Amino acid sequence: MSNLLAARAQMGTSLAFHIIFSALGVGIPLLLCIVEGLALRTKNPVWMMLTRRWARAAAILFAIGAVSGTILSFELGLLWPTYTKFAGAVIGLPFMLEGFAFFTEAIFLGLYLYGWDRLSPRAHWLCSFPIWISGLASAWFIVSANSWMNTPAGFVIKHGKIVDINPLQAIFNPSTPYETVHMILACYVATGFAVAAVYAFAFLRGKRSEYYRKGLMVGILMAVIATPLQMVSGDFNARYLADYQPVKFAAMEGVVHTEQGVPLKIGGLADPNTGQIHYAIEIPNGLSLLAYLNPDATVKGLDQVPREDWPNVLLVHSSFDGMVGSGLFGLLVAVLFWGLYWFKKRTFPENRLLLWGIVLAGPLAFLAVELGWMVTELGRQPWVIYGYLRTKDAVTTAPWLNISFSIFSLVYILLAAALIWLLRQVARRPLPQVKAVGEGYQVIEPNIVDAEEVGV
Amino acid sequence: MDVALVALIILWWALITYAVLGGADFGAGVWDLFAVGRLADRQRNLINHALGPVWEANHVWLIFLIVGLFNVFPAAFATLSIALFLPFTLALLGIVLRGAAFIYRYYAINSKGRFARLWGRVFSVSSLLTPFFLGASAAAVASGKLLPPNGIADATYIVSLISPFALTIGAMAVTLCATIAAVYLTIEARDTEHDKELAESYRLKALIAGAVTAILGALGLGLSSVESPILWHGMLIRAWPVVIITMIIGLATATTLYARYYSTARVLIIAETAFMLGAWGLAQYPYIVPINYTISNSANAPNVITAVLISLACGMIIVIPSLYYLFSVFKLPYPAPGLQRSANEQIEPQQKGAAS
Repeated sequence: MSNLLAARAQMGTSLAFHIIFSALGVGIPLLLCIVEGLALRTKNPVWMMLTRRWARAAAILFAIGAVSGTILSFELGLLWPTYTKFAGAVIGLPFMLEGFAFFTEAIFLGLYLYGWDRLSPRAHWLCSFPIWISGLASAWFIVSANSWMNTPAGFVIKHGKIVDINPLQAIFNPSTPYETVHMILACYVATGFAVAAVYAFAFLRGKRSEYYRKGLMVGILMAVIATPLQMVSGDFNARYLADYQPVKFAAMEGVVHTEQGVPLKIGGLADPNTGQIHYAIEIPNGLSLLAYLNPDATVKGLDQVPREDWPNVLLVHSSFDGMVGSGLFGLLVAVLFWGLYWFKKRTFPENRLLLWGIVLAGPLAFLAVELGWMVTELGRQPWVIYGYLRTKDAVTTAPWLNISFSIFSLVYILLAAALIWLLRQVARRPLPQVKAVGEGYQVIEPNIVDAEEVGV
Repeated sequence: MDVALVALIILWWALITYAVLGGADFGAGVWDLFAVGRLADRQRNLINHALGPVWEANHVWLIFLIVGLFNVFPAAFATLSIALFLPFTLALLGIVLRGAAFIYRYYAINSKGRFARLWGRVFSVSSLLTPFFLGASAAAVASGKLLPPNGIADATYIVSLISPFALTIGAMAVTLCATIAAVYLTIEARDTEHDKELAESYRLKALIAGAVTAILGALGLGLSSVESPILWHGMLIRAWPVVIITMIIGLATATTLYARYYSTARVLIIAETAFMLGAWGLAQYPYIVPINYTISNSANAPNVITAVLISLACGMIIVIPSLYYLFSVFKLPYPAPGLQRSANEQIEPQQKGAAS
């Protein structure tokens, strides 16, 4: 592998790994806040059992999120020093603000996860608020920096030097409102489906107590609220991209030539050399209609930029379709679940096919997050700072990038394998015994090694 | 006053904070490696409880340092990223494995099983290696020989990294972390676990590690006269009073520890670290990466640094009280709002159940 390819592979692997934990890191704290609030309000011990279980999983997931995020903050410099020189000057601020958000999150996580026996029930619950708020803020700051890479703003290049830097303009660049909202909603969609999928799977394996039903319903409630909003946000993004990032948009939709009345191409495979999409389902004038609400509107094609400035159309188009498809599947499942729930006069739907659909929607929601991220990152290539710095000019001069990529890949495999093993162990522990006492709850964690009974 | 200098001083404080908080977490990992024999399980338990609630927050100081440098001195940051590619990559691997391994061990269902033991070993070995690489990197920067003579960073130019000076300072970073950790653990053993025997064992460890740190420090100071002329020169003209105070505080720490005034020793070891790093900063002033990058030639535009300083002030208003709350709930003896009544009596059996 060339140094550039190895650096891109390492960065891509790191992001693909980290994004899973950051999505959960935004979504789970809100769920914890909700279920613990319900536990304190309703005095139903099942809510407290859910809170305890999720907190235990969260402690492990968030630690892995923290260390994988650290890898990224180092890698910006280690792999792309020229990028950091440029970006540090202009868009460093949101990285610093994200640092503060991460700080707040880590502090209150410490209080939340290890303070069960020290804090009063109410103080403990209040500690969940800074966690989900700062998780939200972290996502916003980091994605605003990424938006800047797509639509750089807030500086001028004069005689090869960056001058007239305006950090606020850089943060509030044109992409920021679209990208940040889409990413944050994606975190809630993915977390909701993931939680629902875990309990749907348990339910299918015969665990049908209130605990499992409530766990599933909280997850899919979050999903059914966030997914339609995500569809609306996606529509806004697409129409924004058609105007502000037309090359990325053309690659997503496989538009080679700038023309009027462009069809919408669903599925198919793009030829990365010509940009043409084969075997796609075509809806005449569909794309013009979607992008501009006018069937005859002109859509800019890839031909507006030189061939060497095209992103990889095959990857971008397929990722885009995969993301939309996964999202639509999730929406269908979530709506069916709640539809059946109301239709059957508020009884829990036990249709096996539907439950298997929920199980499938969990991984698909994370696939959508990964693919969506690939659309925006690969769609920006060959630039790292669009129009200003090419990826190949940003890579480090250090050799050994192949070795570095191999080592980090091994570390990720090792961490993931241990994490899955440990989470399964944690899930198999018998449920804690919970009893409402006074203001709060008395919780006795079973202290059994190699437990027979299985929980989730 | 120059905004870049203000920002640099704040970053230096963050470095000191990382050393006394994050450094102690690495040091605890080092002691975990030496946890053998009769007290081994109690030691591991103590380390688990001491690190659990705070290590993630302590770790953020490092992130803060990185993004701070990246914001205020972007060109120097880019240069350091290339020149220190090797030690930073190794330190990064250590940081990642340390954090992950700690949490894997902590939440392992069977604390004596193979999974927990294996990750426990990863935790302690990476805790030992990480401060070594960070210390050696710092020494390589201070030596003024990090960049080749043409001034263009080269990852393969590692002369300054394998010099006796860098190796000595790397080793000293490990023993300093171990000393800080041993002092903190002495207090935790006495106050939280009420385990006198354990407290005594950490007191002895702190004294030994402190003595080794002093020897390595003296050696490093001597070597700097030959190997890092800029630092040595800065010591002679500017930083010597701070160096002398550092030595006095070191002796005072040892004395109070010997006399079992643990709380005073804790304050003194923090001061010791602050003065030691302060002496380095003063001696290296005004260089960021001697001799090519100074404060003035590598600072970002003043208006950007001002924006950074404003956001720093806003961020600290949230973070500092929160941090104080975290430490007062878990570490400090002062009363804090929101605590459960008789929290201390309840915590022991519960947490042990959760940790096993």
